[in-house]
Amino acid sequence: MTANAVEGLKRARRGVGVGGRGPATPSPRGPRQGRTTLGRSWGTLTAFALPSLVLLILLNLFPVIYAFLQSLQNGTPSTLPWEADFVGLQNYVTVLTSPQFWQAAEFTLVFTIVGVFGSWIVGLGLALLLRTRIPGNTAFKVLLLLPWIVPIVVSSTAWNWMVATPQSPLPVLFSWFGMDNVNFLGDPLLAQILVCVFKVWISFPFMMMMMASALASVDTNVYEAAKVDGASSWQTFTGITLPMISRSTYISWILMTIFCVNDFPTIFLLTQGGPVNATTTLIVLAYQYAFQNLQTGIGTAIAFIMTFVLVIISVVLYRQIKKVNIE
Amino acid sequence: MTSESKANGFTRRGFIGLAGAAAASTLLAACSPGGGSTGGGTGKPIKFWNMPWGAPTAFPQEDKRIVAAYKPKSGLPAVSYQQIQWANFTQTFTTAVAANTNPSVSSGGGTTAFLFEKEGKIHYADDVIAKVWASNGIKDDFLPGLLDTMKTANGYAAVPYNLDMRLYWYNKQLMDKAGASLPTDWDSFEAACKALKKIGVYGYGTYSGAGAFTGGHTLVAHMINNGGGLFDKDQNPNVVTDQNIQAMEWVLGLVKNGYVDPRSATYTSANAYSQMNAGQFGMIWDGAGTPANVNANVASQLVVGDPLTGPSGQKGALYFPNNIFMFKNSPSIEGSEAFLNYYYQNMKTLWTKKTGIGLPPLKSIAKAAYADDPNATKIIDTWQPISKTWGAPGSNTVFYNVTKVDGTQPMIAFAQSILGGNTTAKDALTTLQKALESA
Repeated sequence: MTANAVEGLKRARRGVGVGGRGPATPSPRGPRQGRTTLGRSWGTLTAFALPSLVLLILLNLFPVIYAFLQSLQNGTPSTLPWEADFVGLQNYVTVLTSPQFWQAAEFTLVFTIVGVFGSWIVGLGLALLLRTRIPGNTAFKVLLLLPWIVPIVVSSTAWNWMVATPQSPLPVLFSWFGMDNVNFLGDPLLAQILVCVFKVWISFPFMMMMMASALASVDTNVYEAAKVDGASSWQTFTGITLPMISRSTYISWILMTIFCVNDFPTIFLLTQGGPVNATTTLIVLAYQYAFQNLQTGIGTAIAFIMTFVLVIISVVLYRQIKKVNIE
Repeated sequence: MTSESKANGFTRRGFIGLAGAAAASTLLAACSPGGGSTGGGTGKPIKFWNMPWGAPTAFPQEDKRIVAAYKPKSGLPAVSYQQIQWANFTQTFTTAVAANTNPSVSSGGGTTAFLFEKEGKIHYADDVIAKVWASNGIKDDFLPGLLDTMKTANGYAAVPYNLDMRLYWYNKQLMDKAGASLPTDWDSFEAACKALKKIGVYGYGTYSGAGAFTGGHTLVAHMINNGGGLFDKDQNPNVVTDQNIQAMEWVLGLVKNGYVDPRSATYTSANAYSQMNAGQFGMIWDGAGTPANVNANVASQLVVGDPLTGPSGQKGALYFPNNIFMFKNSPSIEGSEAFLNYYYQNMKTLWTKKTGIGLPPLKSIAKAAYADDPNATKIIDTWQPISKTWGAPGSNTVFYNVTKVDGTQPMIAFAQSILGGNTTAKDALTTLQKALESA
């Protein structure tokens, strides 16, 4: 390698650009008026970006606006916007004063809390375990990803097979311990527990991967220093590991909260919100109103209320991320 | 650079030309009608959409063949065929109607025609029935009372196409083993359940879990059997009636006595059929196709039960006349009607070739298809004449308000509460009434 190349590599590591300028070196003068630092006009850049922006707006913003309009109307899935009656915020009032909505909201909260923290605890535990050198470590990692990789239709069919009938494996297992006739899907409380456990089962691989990559970024020297100072495993875990992975933790919590609140197939395929609406979450309720009861206005109103709450939660957690300051 | 690209023998212009040809062929393929179309015809073909009513291969193959063989009269358009999947089919139709790309003639869910009829999108079949079918015999060939189930205040919104029945089957072997007599009324049905319980078998087999609506259907069938039902003569929900309370108290009694599998409330159809295969259900309330869903050994033992006489002295059950309808915005109404007539004159093979479609609407087809099937013949002869639609007891038709109960959560929750046994008949019906009123 030539001396120039070596010097170039060193400057690249310091963040200095090929042209000799880098973040530490301000350019002698700013871009010319109407032109960016790339030497192209804003107009040209806008023209290049416009088709993608238009597509994004059509695909993302238009459906949101359309759905919001529907939430202010009294239509069915087949009613065109100019055909439906405008009811203003009546759908929102109907939803917020409906006992069914609050029942679904309560279970959504339980489902989300169990889903987020349950999968995080299991995922983190497995990520810590897999950092140790054990035989077949890679094979374990692949196997542990399966619940997340396998399509939800397959998983829910398998879980139904495991619990639905008296001959299913889990009821048989419970009967060995003297608990006959355990009705996992028919008892409202058991069905709620089952659905939550199912959610943790399909979600922990995601958390495991998030935590594994977060743990990999922790400097091992810190652990050695803690060991020298006589810190116990628990003190190391709570005083070093958790704070150092907190940024990734908050991000994974935000994502998993959104996944749990918006999770339709997990519940719909396993229990369809039953028995007797015990496992109905807000997203399932929104679907039932919009596509079974053909009350699009109420269904979309529920969806927008959910969105509003999710945005608030995300903002709160995001602020926590910003507060985290790792030296 | 120019010499380099020529040396490769593939220039940038060549690449752009190839990409353009690929895009054009993709666009043309997307524009072509799916599923094939008839030959000849004048003007733009009209579209016929059909749902997958039978076996995945046999039904669409035969259906396409029937449509492809259609030779329209001079001046009438040809017909293009497309099969629509059940997944999100309501959205498929509603977006097509909104975009004005809907078919001219179509089948759909049992209430699809009535949803669009309410919105003024349907072309009524009165002319076809009164003028064409009255003269060629098809009108009189419909099973008793069937055609009028499609009648609305403005006319026939659709024509019956295939029937989905609700009835009960019994397992001959298990009934003999239990020494149970064949039921003829509610008391003898309960007696049969009692006998079956002694050999560890459930007498009242049903299912109302994820994706399963049969449990709710069966409960409504019992209401109709007792002279009740869900709707009054004004087509509004009216479920808290003495007849319905009596019917549901009967079922709750069966649940309490242990004649109903406690997990039935959450069984899928697969769960219920596995229980049949395991010999756990001596009788099951289901559709006409139950033998096709269990193993051969159990299927050979299944026999259609006799309609039960309810406490009110009546016989009754629930059925769903699936139908075909025409849209008003067809490029050729005359073409739509001509095709509809052709299709009904030629659709017999969908049954005689055992494509898996539900029961036929016409007596002549039933006779031709089920001469060697005593169970199907019994269903047509004994269950169809006493069956009513969702509209009972107020009417024996299908109408828009039926969408409030057909596969909806209030009905599922109602069925699960009754089959779970943790309610009273009046409470469950009152909850259902409130849910239907707010829907």
